[in-house]
Amino acid sequence: MSISNPEFLAKLKQESLEAEKRFIGNIAGRLGRSATGPAPEHPFRGAPDFWTSYELDREQQISRFMSNWQAAGGFAERASGMSEVSERICRILGELNAGSTIRQNLTELAQLGLEERLPELRHDAWNGLQTGAALRTAEKADAGIVLADYAVAYTGSIVVTSSMDKGRSVSLLPNILIAVIPAERMFTRLGEVMGRIAAIPGEQFPAGVHFISGPSRSSDIENDLTIGVHGPGVAYALIVG
Amino acid sequence: MKVSLFITCISDALFPPIGEAMARLLARYGVRLHFPEVQTCCGQPAFNSGYWDEARASAQTILKAFDDSDFVIAPSGSCTGMIHHYYPKLFEHDPELLEKSHRLKEKTYEFTQFLVQVLGVTDVGAYFPHKVTYHPSCHGSRLLGIKEEPMQLMSHVEGMEFVPLPYAEDCCGFGGTFAIKMSEISGAMVEEKSQHVLETDAEVLVGLDMGCLLNIGGNLKFQGKPVRVMHLAELLYEGVKNREYAAGV
Amino acid sequence: MSTPQGSNVKDRAKTALKDEFLVDAVKFTTERLKNSKKAATAENGNWEEWRERGRQIRLHTIAHLDYYLSRFVENARAQGVHVHFAPEAKDAARIALEIAEHQGAKSVVKSKSMVSEEVHINEAFESIGIESIESDLGEYIIQLANEPPSHIIIPAIHKNRHQIAELLSKEAGETLEPETKILAGFARRKLRDKFLEADIGLTGCNFGIAETGSVVIFENEGNARMVSTVPKTQITLMGMERLIPTWDDLEVMATLLPRSATGQKLTMYMSGITGPKRAQDGDGPEEMHIIIVDNGRSLQLGDPEFQELLNCIRCGACLNACPVYRHIGGHSYPGTYSGPIGAVLTPALNKNAGEWQDIANASSLCGACYEACPVKIPLHDMLVYLRNRKVERGYTAAGEKMAMKGFKMLMKSHKRFRKAVKAGQIGQKLLVRDGYIRSQIGPLGGWTAYRYIPELPKQSFREQWPDLVTEVEKSVQPMAADVKLRMEQIVKARGKGGQHA
Repeated sequence: MSISNPEFLAKLKQESLEAEKRFIGNIAGRLGRSATGPAPEHPFRGAPDFWTSYELDREQQISRFMSNWQAAGGFAERASGMSEVSERICRILGELNAGSTIRQNLTELAQLGLEERLPELRHDAWNGLQTGAALRTAEKADAGIVLADYAVAYTGSIVVTSSMDKGRSVSLLPNILIAVIPAERMFTRLGEVMGRIAAIPGEQFPAGVHFISGPSRSSDIENDLTIGVHGPGVAYALIVG
Repeated sequence: MKVSLFITCISDALFPPIGEAMARLLARYGVRLHFPEVQTCCGQPAFNSGYWDEARASAQTILKAFDDSDFVIAPSGSCTGMIHHYYPKLFEHDPELLEKSHRLKEKTYEFTQFLVQVLGVTDVGAYFPHKVTYHPSCHGSRLLGIKEEPMQLMSHVEGMEFVPLPYAEDCCGFGGTFAIKMSEISGAMVEEKSQHVLETDAEVLVGLDMGCLLNIGGNLKFQGKPVRVMHLAELLYEGVKNREYAAGV
Repeated sequence: MSTPQGSNVKDRAKTALKDEFLVDAVKFTTERLKNSKKAATAENGNWEEWRERGRQIRLHTIAHLDYYLSRFVENARAQGVHVHFAPEAKDAARIALEIAEHQGAKSVVKSKSMVSEEVHINEAFESIGIESIESDLGEYIIQLANEPPSHIIIPAIHKNRHQIAELLSKEAGETLEPETKILAGFARRKLRDKFLEADIGLTGCNFGIAETGSVVIFENEGNARMVSTVPKTQITLMGMERLIPTWDDLEVMATLLPRSATGQKLTMYMSGITGPKRAQDGDGPEEMHIIIVDNGRSLQLGDPEFQELLNCIRCGACLNACPVYRHIGGHSYPGTYSGPIGAVLTPALNKNAGEWQDIANASSLCGACYEACPVKIPLHDMLVYLRNRKVERGYTAAGEKMAMKGFKMLMKSHKRFRKAVKAGQIGQKLLVRDGYIRSQIGPLGGWTAYRYIPELPKQSFREQWPDLVTEVEKSVQPMAADVKLRMEQIVKARGKGGQHA
C-alpha cells in the first residue's frame, strides 16, 4: 500500500483544522491582531518599476536566450520552421546515439514525423492515462522532447507545465532533453510569464510548473558546476521562427 | 562656527599625533579646532558587548561635550558610526537624550568625510615618497559608506606609490572585545590580513581607524615585520611637512 | 574529519582552525561563491533596487503573515493538498511518521531542506525502520559521512573533492577518481533506483505562494523534481515564514536568491508544485502533504529587534561573506544553521535564551553579512541585541561584568579617564620592552598571543592639548568664503531632514 485511506485522511483533516486555529491565531496575536484581517494593501508587489518597462525585441530576446542557455551548459539552435526542427532533432539523436524517444503527446510534436524519419528508434508519446507505465517508458527513453509553454530570454529558461499529455517525466528522466520553442512564446522577463501563470484559473492550474534553464548540474563539489546529476545531462533548445 | 574634535579614547591615550595632525591640517583651511575636555569614549566597547547601561554612561559624556558644537570630527569611522547608528537606539527611551543624539548624529563626521564633503578639499598638497597600502575599516566603509573620500585624498598625494590591498574589504579581526573573547578566531583573521599587507610589499599601511590599525600593526610587529602603520591624517600632515621642507619654508 | 568537539563556539573553533583541510576547503569554496555572486550582481546592474524591493516584499509578508498563511492554506487545500501544522519540530516529525507508518512505507527519498534538519527527519524515519535517503549530492555526501550540513546551500562545503571521492568510493566498492563528473555520475546511477523504489518523496520549500497555494523549489540537480514526480506520496516541510503573496513576487525572489547563493541567473530548475497530480496526469504524487513548521519562528513576530530575521530567504550569502565562518566552518556553530544567520537564528528560535553559549560573540561585527544579504537583514545589529539580552537576563561571565563596571567608572568622567591613562603611563613601565608590551598576562593574553601593544606615550592627547592649541592658533589661515558659506548652509539645513552621508 502506498497511499493513505480516506478515513485516515479525514482524521488528519480534523486535526489540521483544530491546529490551524491555534497556529494562525498565535501568529495574529503576536502581530497584535485579535483575528486575521482582510487583504492588506500590497504596494510593493512584483518587480521594481524600472524593470517592468524593460523590453527586448524578438531578435534580442532570441540571442539573449541562446547565450544564457549556452552559458548554462546547454546547446541552442535556431530553425526556420518545424520541418527544420525535425531535421535537427534527427541529427541530434544520431550524434548522441539515442535509441529511443519520449515526447509530450502534442500535435506539433507528432507532426515532426520522427517515427517515419527514424524508424529504427523506439518512439513513444506520453500517455497520462497509463499512470506508472508512462513514467517507466520515460525512464527508459534516451531523449525527451517537449514543446515549451513559454521561454524567458533574460534568464535563459523554458517553462513546461504538466497535464495529461505533458508528463513531468518527459523533461526530467531521459538523459537528453530537446525543447522546441516557438519564437512567439518567448518573453523578455520572468515576470511576463509569472503573470500568465497566475492568471490560469484554479481548476485548470497545472500541478507542475517547471522553469528549466539548461542541463542538470550540481554545485556541491567545491561549487564546481558540473553537468548531469539527476536530470538530463544534455539539453538542447531549438527555437523556431 | 564651532568645529570640535572628538579624539576617541584610543587615539587620546595611545596615538596623540593623530589629533595634532588633524588640528594642524584643518588650521590650513581656516578651521580652528576645539577640544571639549569632558569627552571620554563613544561607549562602543560596552555597547557591542551588550552592556548598554555602561555604554550610556560613557556616551553621555559625548552628548555633553558636543552639545554646542556645529561640527564634530572624529578620526574613526567606527566611533562616528557608533554615534550615527546606535546612539538613537541607546537612548530610545529617553526623549531628551534621544533628541540630543539625533542632533549629534547630524553634525558628526569622520575626518575624511569632513575634509572632502564639507571643506571640499581633496588635495592637501602633500608629498610622501613611499609605497603605501590602505585598509578600509568595516564600519567606516560599510556602515558609513566612506569609500571614495580616502581614495580621493590619497590620489593627490605626490610621490606616493599606492598599492591596492588584496581582499581589502575583509575584516581584520579586531571587533573590540571579540579580539579577546574569540582570540583564536581573531588571531587567524589578523594573520590573514597581515599576510595580505605583506604581499603588497608596502612600506606603509594607512587607515582611518586606530582599533583596526592597533590590531594589524600589533600583529605585524609581533611577526617582526617593519611595516609602518599610520592614520591617514598623519600621513597627509607628514606629507604637507615634507612639501614645506622641500620648498624650504 | 569528524563532527566538531567542544561545548561552545570558542572550543569548536579552536579545533576547526587546526584542521587545515577544513579551513582550505571552506575558504576555497566560499571565495568562489563570493566571486560568482559579485559577478552576478554586477551583471544585473540594478542590484540595490532589487534588494530593496525584496526587502519590502518580505517585510510586508511577515507583517501580514496570518493573512497570507491563511490564504496559502486555503488555496493549497482547494488543490487537494493535506495541510498540517507543527508548532514544534517534534510535531512535524510526528505527523510525517504517522503518514509513513499508516502507508506502510519502506523508504523515503529526500531533497534538500533546512527545516528537515531542524526536525531531524532522517533520524525520525530511521527510528521506525524506514530508510530515508538524501538525494541532493551534497546532502548525500554528508549523509554518507554521518555529518550535519555545514552550509545552507553547499552542505558538504567543508570537504574537498578528494575527501568526497573517498566517501563515494567506499559506497561504490571501487575507486572513483576525484573528478566532479565521475562523482556526480556515480550518485546519479545509485540514486536513480532509490527514486524509483521510494514510497514517499520529502521536499523542502523555498517559497510558498499564497495566491495559489503553490510550493516553489529552486535546485540545480533535478533531484527535487524527482522527489516530487516519482513517489506516490509527497510530503513537503515548510517553515511558516517561507511565504510570498503572489507569482509576481516570485520574480523578485528568483532574481535575488540564485544570484546571492551561487551567482546563477536562475537555478537550473525552479518548480512550482500546486497540489498532487491531476486525475489524468500520468505522473506526479497522488497524495500531497504540506507540514507547516513554527519551531520558534513565531517568537520573532512582534519583536522589533528580531522580526526581520524571518525575512531570510536562506541563500547562504552571509556565510560566504563572513570572515569568521570562512575560518571556522559551519560545524563550529551549534544548531542547524551556521554563519551569521545561524549565530542569530539559533538563539532566536530558542527564545533568545542567554544560555545559548557564546554563539553571539563569534562575530567581529564587521557588517559583511548585512552587505551581502539580498533582503538587507541587519544581522550585525541583531548580534548586538542578542548580547544585550544576554546581559539583561544575567547570563554573563563574572569577569566581563566586572570589567564593564570598571569601564563605566572610568568613562563616565573625563577626570577619572585622564587619571587612569596617567596611571597606565606610569604602571606600564614594568611591562614595556622596546616600546611594546608583549607579555601574555591576564585578560590581555588573548590579544598578545597574536599581537604586541604599543606603549602609552608619555602624554595623552588631552594632556598635550593646551600647548598644542596655542601653537596651532598661530597657523590658522583665513577660511575661504565658499567653504564658510557651505558650512553655514549645512548648519541651516539641519533638523529639516538635511543630513550628510
